[in-house]
Amino acid sequence: MSHSRRLFHLDPFSRRLARQEMRDELAFHLEERVAQLTSRGLSPEAARAEAIRRLGRTYADAEHRLGDSAELKERRLDVRERLREFADDIRYAFRGLAARPGFTAIAVLTLGIGIGANTAIYSAVDALLLRSLPFPEPGRLFDIVQTSRDDGAAPWSHPKYKFFRDNQRSYATLAAHSSSQTILTGADPERVGVEEVTAQYLATLGVPVARGRDFPPEIDAGAGARRVALISDALWQRRFNADPGVVGKSLSLNNQPWEIIGVLPPGFRGLSGRAEALLNLSARAAEELSEPWSLEFSLIGRLKDGVTGPQAIAEAQLIGPRIYEAFPMQAGTLTTSTTPDRWTAAARPLDTIRVGSGLRSSLLVLFGAVALVLLIACVNLANLLVARAVARKREIAVRLALGARRGRLVRLLVTESLVLALLGGVASLVVAVAGTRILSSMNPQETLRVQGLGGGIGAIGFEAIRIDASALAFTFVVTVAVGLLFGLAPALGATRPSLVGDLKEGSSGAGAGRRVGVSRRALVVAEVALALVLLAGSGLMIRSLGNLLDVDPGFDGRNVLTLRLSVPPGVLAPDSMPGFYEQLQAEIGGIPGVERVAIADCPPLNNGCNGTIMTFADRPRSSTGNAMVGVHWVSPNWFGTMRVPLKRGRMFGDNDRLGSPKVVIINEAAARQYFPGEDPIGKRVGVYQGGFHTGAEIIGIVGDVRYGTIDSTARPDTYISYGQARLSRMMIFVRATGNPSALAPAVRAVVRRVAPHAPVFDVRSMSARVATASAQTRFSAVLLGLFATVALSLAVMGIYGVLSFAVAQRTGEIGIRMALGAERGSVVALVLRDAAVLALVGLTIGLLVALALTRVLRTMLFEVTTTDPLTYVAMASVLAVAVLAASWIPARRAARVDPVIALRKG
Amino acid sequence: MADSPSLLKGTLDVLVLKALTWGPMHGFEIVTWLEQQSNGSVDVDDGALYYALHRMEERGLIESEWRVTGNNRKARYYRMRAAGRAWLRTEGASLERYARALADILALRTG
Repeated sequence: MSHSRRLFHLDPFSRRLARQEMRDELAFHLEERVAQLTSRGLSPEAARAEAIRRLGRTYADAEHRLGDSAELKERRLDVRERLREFADDIRYAFRGLAARPGFTAIAVLTLGIGIGANTAIYSAVDALLLRSLPFPEPGRLFDIVQTSRDDGAAPWSHPKYKFFRDNQRSYATLAAHSSSQTILTGADPERVGVEEVTAQYLATLGVPVARGRDFPPEIDAGAGARRVALISDALWQRRFNADPGVVGKSLSLNNQPWEIIGVLPPGFRGLSGRAEALLNLSARAAEELSEPWSLEFSLIGRLKDGVTGPQAIAEAQLIGPRIYEAFPMQAGTLTTSTTPDRWTAAARPLDTIRVGSGLRSSLLVLFGAVALVLLIACVNLANLLVARAVARKREIAVRLALGARRGRLVRLLVTESLVLALLGGVASLVVAVAGTRILSSMNPQETLRVQGLGGGIGAIGFEAIRIDASALAFTFVVTVAVGLLFGLAPALGATRPSLVGDLKEGSSGAGAGRRVGVSRRALVVAEVALALVLLAGSGLMIRSLGNLLDVDPGFDGRNVLTLRLSVPPGVLAPDSMPGFYEQLQAEIGGIPGVERVAIADCPPLNNGCNGTIMTFADRPRSSTGNAMVGVHWVSPNWFGTMRVPLKRGRMFGDNDRLGSPKVVIINEAAARQYFPGEDPIGKRVGVYQGGFHTGAEIIGIVGDVRYGTIDSTARPDTYISYGQARLSRMMIFVRATGNPSALAPAVRAVVRRVAPHAPVFDVRSMSARVATASAQTRFSAVLLGLFATVALSLAVMGIYGVLSFAVAQRTGEIGIRMALGAERGSVVALVLRDAAVLALVGLTIGLLVALALTRVLRTMLFEVTTTDPLTYVAMASVLAVAVLAASWIPARRAARVDPVIALRKG
Repeated sequence: MADSPSLLKGTLDVLVLKALTWGPMHGFEIVTWLEQQSNGSVDVDDGALYYALHRMEERGLIESEWRVTGNNRKARYYRMRAAGRAWLRTEGASLERYARALADILALRTG
C-alpha cells in the first residue's frame, strides 16, 4: 500500500521511483491498447499509432509529461505526509506533556527563566552595544581626541580645534561640542543640560531641525557672536507650550538672553543625551576661546565621501604632533597631568565609544553568565528527558521492531522537546519583559555619567532597553536551539538500535540502562562544573563589591544630606558672599534635626575636583616642576561635619578671613608626596587658584579624602577657606541627627528664602553618593549573584533527580546487599559516595574552566585577583555541600529499602 | 474520437471514481470500462486519464498498488478510498442534477 510504502522510502529515491513506475505503467497500458485494437482488426502498425495518439503527441512526449506529473504527485504526497506526521508528532507531544504536568511545569518554568534572562540581557546588549547609532550613516561618524601618554584621551581647546579643522582633509563636516549644566532663569528657575556647539554640529550628525533653522555657518566667524539657541522638543513643550511662534523668542540662561532660532526633533538631546538647548559656542568672549590649554571641547566629524576610516585615523596621527608643536605646553600651564608628555591626536569611530569600557565588559560578562545559566537549564532538561526516554525504552524498541524508521522516531522525540522549548519561550517573555523593565530603570551608566564617570555618549542609554523585534527573533532562535540542544542527544540515545537487548530488557534492566546512566552522570558533572564557574565569577564580584564597600573614603557620610546650589552671576555682589554663606549656614543650622552644617565646593567621590599647580617658597620653581594639587573650598566647620580627622596643626578658624594672612590645609597625601621627611606645618606655598598663588601658610594636615573614585587612593589636596576666597560654586553638607533625606524639604525652603534666585539641585544623601560610586560593581555583582544562585539551584535539582533515579534503578541490588547483612549506614555511604565522585569530578573540571574564564573579569575587580583562593574554596564548598544535601534524600530512601520487597520486585 | 463530446472539467474524475466502485482496476481497465458502459460515446483521452489519476491520488481520493493481473502481468491498480467514495457521492449527485437540467432545457420545444 502506498501509505506503508512511503514509510520506508527516501525522498530523491521515491521521485525517481515514481517516474520509473509511470514508465512501466504506460508501457503496460500501450501494450494492452495495441492488443485491443489489433483484436478489433487493425494492423499492428496502425494499432500502435492509434494507441500512441491517444496518449499524446509522441510516446516519448507522453512518457516525459506523465513522468513529470507522477513525480509532482509524489512530491506533494510527501509534503502532505510530512505535515501530517508533524501534526501527529505535535499532538503526541502535547498529549505526552499533558500526561506529566509536574515535569512539564518544571521544564517550562526552568526554560522560561533561562531564556527570559537571556532575552533581557540580550536586549541590553543590543540597545547599548549593537544597535546602530540613531544618526544617518553612523559608521561615517568619528570622534577625534587628543591623546597623551599620561591622561589617555583628552578634549580640545578652541585654538587646537581650529588648527585640526584647518589642517584635516578627511572630514566633510567637523564640529566641536561641549556639554554642561546651566540655569534656566526667570520664573521657576531650573537646572538644565546644554551643549555649546559649532555651527556644523547638526549637519555632522545628520539631524535636521524640526522647526526654525540650523545655526548659520557665518556665526562661527569669530568669538563674541550673537547668542542663538536651538531648543529641545521637550523644552519647547514644557516651557513654551509648543508655541509655533517660538522662533525669535528669547531664552534666559544664567540671566543672559539667547535668541531661539529653532527647535530640535523630538527625542534628540545632543550627544550628551541631556541637552535642553544647543548654544553657539562662538557666543563666548574671545579670551575664553583663545587659551590653547583650556581643554573642554569634544570633536566629531563625518567622513568625506571616498575617505575610509583607516585613512582618517592615520591622518589624525599625523596632525596630532603638529598641533603640539604649534601649541607647546608652557611651564605653569594648568592641566590635570603631573608630567606632560608629547601629545598627539586620535580618531576613532563614534560607535566604539558609545558606552564606557567598564559597562561594555560588564554587559558581555553578564551575557556570558546568563548563557551559562541557560546551558545548565538545558543540561537539567536533557537529564529529565533521558530519564523519560529510559522509561519509554521499551515502547521505542517496539516501534523500531515494527519497522518505524529511526529518523522518524528521533523526529517524534525532538518535536516533543521543541514543543516544550516553545512553551518555555512563551513563558520566557514574561521574564524578559519584567527583566528589561528593571534594566532600563536601573541605568548604572546614567548615575555614573552625572558624576562624569563611565564615559560613553549619553545618546545611548539604558532607557533604550526594550523588547523589540530583534529581541523576539533572538528569543525564537534561542528557543529552537535550546529545544534541539536538550532534545536531540536523549532522542539519539534512546533510539540507538539495539533491538534485542531492549526488547528483552525490562524497565529496570542493566545493559543499555547503564549506558544511559553514564550519560546522565556526565550531564551532572557538566552541571556542577558550569555552576562552579558561575559561582566563582559571582563570588569574585561580590568580594570585589565587599572590598569597595570596606574602603574608608576618609569621611563619615552617614546621616549627611548634600545639595548643590548655583548662584547665578550678578545676583550677589562678590563682597557679600562670605556673609551669604554664613547666613545660609546659620539658617539651616536652626532647622530642628540638624546637627551641623558646612559648605564645600566639590563633594567626595566626584571623579575628581578642580586642581592646579603648587609652588614652594623654599624651593626653586624649576626643581618642583608642575606639582599638582586638588583645590577644595570649604567652610571652617566642614572637616568636623564630615568627620575628616585633623592629623597635625590646626583647622581653619573664624579669624582666617578676607584680609588676614592666607592659610591652607593640606591632606596627608600632599604631606607625604611634597614634604617627605619634613614638617609641612608653617611652610609657605603658592596655590594657583583663588588668589593664593602669592603665597599661603600651611596650618594643618587632615586625613585623605577620596575625591576621585572609590577605588583610587587620594591624590595630594589642599583646602582653602570660603572665608578667605570668594567662590559662587557651593555644595551644602547637612549632618542630621536622624534620616538626612527627611530634612531635604526644610533645607530647600530655607535656601528658597535666603537665595530665591539660586536653584537647588542634586539633593542626595552622602550615603547615596557612596553607593553610586560602587554602582557599576554592584550592578555586575547583583546580577552575577542572581545568575549563580539560579545555576546552583538548577544543579542541585539535577543532581537530586539523577541520584533518585539511580537509587530507584538499584533497588534490587541494594535489597540484595541488605539481605546479605549490609548496614543501613553503609547503604547511605554507597549513595553518598556516588554523589561525592560526581561532585569531585565536576568541581575539578569547573575549577579549571573557572580559572580560565574568570580572567575576563580582571578589569572589573577591585583588590581581588581572578585566582583568589578564598573565593574558589568558599564557592567550591558551597557547591559541594549543596550536592551532598541534594543526595541526602535519595541516600536515606535507599537505606529504607525493604530487602524482601526489593528482592520480590527485582 | 474526434466527434465524441469532450468531457467537462471534473466529469472525468467522477466517471473514474464511478468505475472504481466496481473494485480496483488498472488504468486500461478504467478506460475500457468507461468506453463499454457508454457504448463508445464517452471517449477518454488515455493521457488525460493518468493526469486525473495522479490528481485524485494526490487528493487522497484513491490509492494505488502494483499487483499481478489475471494473465500474470504486473500492473498498477487503483482503488477507491473512503474520501473518494464521499467525493463521488456529492460530486456525482451534482453532476447528475446538472445533466438532468441540461436535458430538460434541450428538450424544450419552441412555441
